[in-house]
Amino acid sequence: MKKVSKILCVFAALFFLFTIAATPVIAENIKVGVVLPLTGKLAKFGEIENKSFLMAVKEINAAGGINGKKIDLIIEDTTGKPDVGRSAIEKLISQDKVIVVGGGYSSSVTWASVAVAQQHKIPFLVNTGSADRITEQGWNYIFRLNPPVSEYPKGFASFLQNVAKDVKTVAILHENSLFGQSGSKKFAKQCKSLGINVMMKEGYEAGAIDFKPLLVKVKAKNPDLVYMISYIMDAAMLIRQSKELDMNAKLFVGGAAGFTLPEFQKNVGAGSDYVFSATLWVPSAPYPGAQAYYDKFVAKYKTPTEYHGAEAYAAMYVIADALKRAKSLTPEAVREALAKTDMMTAFGPVKFVSYGKKTQQNSLPTFLVQWQKAKLETVWPENVSTAKYVYPVPKWNER
Amino acid sequence: MEVFLQTLVAGILKGGLYGLIGIGMTMIMGVMGIINLAHGQLMMVGMYVTFVCFHYMGIDPYIALFISMPALFLLGMVLQKYLLNPLMEVESILPENQVLMTVGIGMVLTEIARFIFSSDYKSVQTSYSSSSFFVGDISFSVALTIAFFIAVAFTVFMFWFLIKTDLGRSIRATAQDKDAALLMGVNSKRITIITFGIGSALVAAAGTLLMPIYYLFPDIGGPFTRKAFVITILGGLGSTVGAIFGGVTLGLAEAFGATYIGMAFDDMIGLLIFILVLLFLPGGFKRLTKI
Repeated sequence: MKKVSKILCVFAALFFLFTIAATPVIAENIKVGVVLPLTGKLAKFGEIENKSFLMAVKEINAAGGINGKKIDLIIEDTTGKPDVGRSAIEKLISQDKVIVVGGGYSSSVTWASVAVAQQHKIPFLVNTGSADRITEQGWNYIFRLNPPVSEYPKGFASFLQNVAKDVKTVAILHENSLFGQSGSKKFAKQCKSLGINVMMKEGYEAGAIDFKPLLVKVKAKNPDLVYMISYIMDAAMLIRQSKELDMNAKLFVGGAAGFTLPEFQKNVGAGSDYVFSATLWVPSAPYPGAQAYYDKFVAKYKTPTEYHGAEAYAAMYVIADALKRAKSLTPEAVREALAKTDMMTAFGPVKFVSYGKKTQQNSLPTFLVQWQKAKLETVWPENVSTAKYVYPVPKWNER
Repeated sequence: MEVFLQTLVAGILKGGLYGLIGIGMTMIMGVMGIINLAHGQLMMVGMYVTFVCFHYMGIDPYIALFISMPALFLLGMVLQKYLLNPLMEVESILPENQVLMTVGIGMVLTEIARFIFSSDYKSVQTSYSSSSFFVGDISFSVALTIAFFIAVAFTVFMFWFLIKTDLGRSIRATAQDKDAALLMGVNSKRITIITFGIGSALVAAAGTLLMPIYYLFPDIGGPFTRKAFVITILGGLGSTVGAIFGGVTLGLAEAFGATYIGMAFDDMIGLLIFILVLLFLPGGFKRLTKI
């Protein structure tokens, strides 16, 4: 018994010492929370965003921080699961006492965590989670930097109207998640308005070994266009197995997410050629700092980056900008400052507006890219393109 | 008809691999009476061994079988000898706690893999990775077909090993009745170590065979542990033949479910069959075959 109380005493003393030692350091810094999947199957994306956040915050702090104060970034791991995401943001708010939250990868996780932020009245700038309903609730503490998933194919739709006019039928395959369902529903609606017949629309469980049962059905229907909303490795499996089945279409198009990562090409090999993808950002995008961000990232981490990284990088700058303009360092003042944001970032112009059912949503154009000879080329709109599109794509056995 | 046949082929080929994953688990289950919840994670380790062999030494995945299997055999033996067996000796620790130990082992393996290889997705690109041949209109994936026949060969070999060899008989004896086996002079502790080694080696083989067609990242173990568990229950605990039947059943159920119900219900269909078997055929297919 005596021993126990002795140990407790030591602990209490240590705890006391730590609090004293830690308090002055933290008081100087502004705490900003970030929720990202750093482990689990979405960790790859989380890593790119994590690196971009850290790069941005380093630059901001080196340039003098926020009116003399430094930003202290607290990054929590959501593991890509909604329940963990919820407790991660709860921890950030109640324990770390952050005044603004960023990040938010994966629609399902973001959906769960924004509700917590709204409830605690802490501003949350979402930079990746793209299910439409995240900004359709009228929640005044939730802002979104990236376009919602329904707008991902904006650039692609104009390609369909101007170039691929003979596309009459489509098969939509999507991951069975909030992101996939929401994106496929909106894309099907868009197809109908363009006069394209939706022959099938089917979901699948992420991480499957064998997509053939699904692809056989697509092959039997023989659509002009195959549109897929998938995360990276499912995207790779879908294309590889389409090749195995000799399933041909005039166009293979990915709805962003998995199809633009360098790993996609590495894992599919030559089969990746001619695959199109919608994307939110390309290094050649006509925004000041876009190419510079790409070059800095590659120089620092020796690995390429893509739109997820740009989103995170820009989000950090938007948060810093709002903190600079905020009248005081309280969540409410930061929220007001965020609402008045009007700035240019590496990811494009940022201004939170309301349209349709959406509130505090940033509106941006999207691009169409195509893999050509193992390189990702921007092909549409023509004014930013780096290469000419190849359409229709050659059949598998003619390559 | 074409869709039906293609689904059938896809289901059987995938089922062969599932069977191989299940055999290791069912053997461990039979001998030790515990569910090895690190099974998928051991497979992940086997896959990384294959990946390293291919990527840094240029060894073809099928030849890498001769490296990944012995490596995992050793790892399995070490785990059993130094982590699981000591738990058995302490009276106050319930045997169930060994199951908790396997969960812990699984987590540690995953994090070690993440530490070494990061969370990046890796895959092995061979000339036959996405090639296929056609019989009529039905496409057969080359890699999956080879994997299927190797899996069947391993199963036949395991069957022969368990029935004809002395070591195999000792394993079966330990599985049937540990105390009686001890009285007959079987060193049951040695048997548990060897069995865990064999189980690990078999699942490593499955991982290696899967490598040319699938991909790899540290968290890949979990879903396969779950699949192995379902297969083991379907086939009947401890039954080698049952595991193959369980694997093929699961493969077929997933494939047909994906074609005729919807691929979004992939996992649900497997688990539904699992529940049906538990309800109407407790003990699994073992009850029907009696092996």
